[in-house]
Amino acid sequence: MIMRESIVMKIHYGTALGAVFLVAIHIMMRMTQDFHESLQYENVIANYEMIGYAILLELILILISVHGFNGLRVILLEIRQGQSYEKGVTYGCIAAMIALVVYGSNTIISVHLGLL
Amino acid sequence: MEKENNAKEGIKGWISPAKYGKFGIERFAWILMRITGLGLLAYFIGHIIETGNILSGEGAWNSMLELTQTTEGHIFLALVIGMCVFHTGNGIRLMLVQMGYGIGKPARPDYPYKPQSLNMKGKACIYATIGIAALAMWYGITVMFG
Repeated sequence: MIMRESIVMKIHYGTALGAVFLVAIHIMMRMTQDFHESLQYENVIANYEMIGYAILLELILILISVHGFNGLRVILLEIRQGQSYEKGVTYGCIAAMIALVVYGSNTIISVHLGLL
Repeated sequence: MEKENNAKEGIKGWISPAKYGKFGIERFAWILMRITGLGLLAYFIGHIIETGNILSGEGAWNSMLELTQTTEGHIFLALVIGMCVFHTGNGIRLMLVQMGYGIGKPARPDYPYKPQSLNMKGKACIYATIGIAALAMWYGITVMFG
């Protein structure tokens, strides 16, 4: 599947703007109480159990993974070019992105459902 | 073709000090954008793995907190805040530039061939972004050590 680079960059910018907005909410949630207190086990579990917050975390996970690994792909393609190299970098970044989303989603869903 | 290949500097081109004097603050912003991007991606991966510890129970979570809630951990987190704010501010500037805002009007290229796009507005934005990133780091430090 070949996607035009202009479309990829639109996705890159879209995910960036979405992530900025959602990460701001994520950080503000830490400010609703004392920073150190907000990181205590019970408080973190309570955060994950809120459906709205779990969805927020999942969206942040997807947006930053897409943005981050596409950024890494762009940097790697700036450094070196070549057909097989570019293919390897693109598929490698997609695979790493999927792996991270799966790992993070497992944490979010398991804690949200109480599967501890 | 050989000339083109010789011109490829790869990662060495990033760190060449000669480039900074030649291209100024825009070059510095370009390299900082890449360094902060890579740093934030590394932090993000670490953060996902770190929070995954919660599945191993309260003991594992608390021992992970003991590692991160230290002076060094807080300084590292302050650096992450700075990287995040710079990357965001500079990223928004780049998006606006790509949409054609703040790059000036096209003009005839006369000696010394200064590009219209590398103007004072852009430079001011870069300096402002660095300043805001420093302020955010300071605020983060007051919250974490407060």
